[in-house]
Amino acid sequence: MAKVVVDAMAMQRALTRITYEIIERNKGVDDLVILGIKTRGVYLARRIASRLQQLENVSVPVGDLDVTPYRDDIDHDAQGEPEVTATNIDFSVEGKKVILVDDVLYTGRTIRAAMSAIMDLGRPTSINLAVLVDRGHRELPIRADFVGKNIPSSQRERIKVSVSEIDDRDAVEIQQA
Amino acid sequence: MAKRYLILEDGSAYAGEGFGAGATTSGEVISNLNLLGYQETITDQIYHNQIIIFAQPAIGNVGINHDSYESILPTAKGMVVRDVTNISTNRLSRLSLDEFLQQHNIPGISGIDTRHLIRKLRDVDGPMKGSIVDVADAHAFDQLNATVLTNRQVDQVATPKPYPNPDTGKNVVVIDFGLKHGILRQLSERRCNVTVLPWTASAKDVLNLDPDGVLLSTGPGSPLDLGAGVLDMIRTVQAEIPLFAIGLGHELFALANGAELTMLPVEYHGSSHPIRRIITNDIIYATQGQGYAVIAKSIDRDRLITTYVDLINGTVQGLRHRDYPAFSVQFFADGAPGPHESRDLFDEFMEAMTARREG
Repeated sequence: MAKVVVDAMAMQRALTRITYEIIERNKGVDDLVILGIKTRGVYLARRIASRLQQLENVSVPVGDLDVTPYRDDIDHDAQGEPEVTATNIDFSVEGKKVILVDDVLYTGRTIRAAMSAIMDLGRPTSINLAVLVDRGHRELPIRADFVGKNIPSSQRERIKVSVSEIDDRDAVEIQQA
Repeated sequence: MAKRYLILEDGSAYAGEGFGAGATTSGEVISNLNLLGYQETITDQIYHNQIIIFAQPAIGNVGINHDSYESILPTAKGMVVRDVTNISTNRLSRLSLDEFLQQHNIPGISGIDTRHLIRKLRDVDGPMKGSIVDVADAHAFDQLNATVLTNRQVDQVATPKPYPNPDTGKNVVVIDFGLKHGILRQLSERRCNVTVLPWTASAKDVLNLDPDGVLLSTGPGSPLDLGAGVLDMIRTVQAEIPLFAIGLGHELFALANGAELTMLPVEYHGSSHPIRRIITNDIIYATQGQGYAVIAKSIDRDRLITTYVDLINGTVQGLRHRDYPAFSVQFFADGAPGPHESRDLFDEFMEAMTARREG
């Protein structure tokens, strides 16, 4: 049984609020770059960037991060050297304020891996984290700076984020395992 | 029905038939272009001391019902309509418009070519006084010309004392400048525990209640007549607590943050203008009612972001503070009457309060 906890309208509002909060926190959009974590974080990152473009008439660089090789909880890669296999970032993060965007914040391991990947690319001034959903159960000392919705969840539950770009709609659902 | 007249300060007179109360009244004559919501309109306190001309030719169709009051004691000065009708079979209707206006001593006049009148007023620069009278003689015009309309509208219609509207959710302070009930209804739907404060409340009065959010209400008249105290209050509160401002509240929020206002040549009351939501670049419609507008060029872009703009007359319809979760809209987001599609601004307000408390 899946229960919709964030509908399309609420997702739009959450991204809108996060966009305004990014402007509030950073006193504008100077030196901002946005990096989305594949897969759905990328589309959320692009939506935030297009909102910033609408408001400030400034094109903020957007890149993709594929952090799979960095995950320390994936066994088959435990021995391997960290390597970014599929980033799509055609700009420097050196001296930039990075907004890292993901759909769900859970254990924090993906974010830790993403931060390593960013650090390998250069030395940003700061990294902020924006997530659509924070579901709790952190295993690392990581917290989000911008949260669309806090959804306290059981570890048995699955949080499913759909975005209209690749799924049939915008929604966040909780599925009972 | 008795023959009565609408007279204007330019010397013109329009004959029609009286309905509602038989009182002789004077007020500023304004046009309302909404096709629906005459009950919400006549009870909205933004029409304090105004005589409302309705573009919709048939007014009164569904009587008066207990769900659509925007205030308890309406203080508009009159209704000018083409046809007053009562063909209601609405199950909610207990009262005809005619009876309602008699109860509240508000005169109406029907049989007027309201669309002609509205076109004429559109070409007049500045406000126009008018009266609804029994005899359109020189004495009536003398009386009209001698009438001085108050600029203390907010004092007349806003609450002088705080009162609660209890519920179990977020604590919201509403600053009352002559609020429409639609605002309280939207907060009730979201379970907000509301305290309504008089508009003279200081920042300390507000902060002492430790609210999750503060809402500046709609209201009548000119924001320029309310003094500097309320602007100081807004500047202090917006830095501490999420703030949402509507209508007159929006105009005050703009003033408090350095923007300037202009008086529109003709007040605009309607819901047919497309309004662009800039952040997502889409169009919404909303009920609008404004005599003033924020001057776009006066907006300090280091303090405020323009969030909504009217695509017909180009007026600024929404603002947001750059440093705080404080935002405002000129149009009536409560959707009473008319288009409901901006009601989710109240959800935005709720989410801003949640983010503030949890962040």
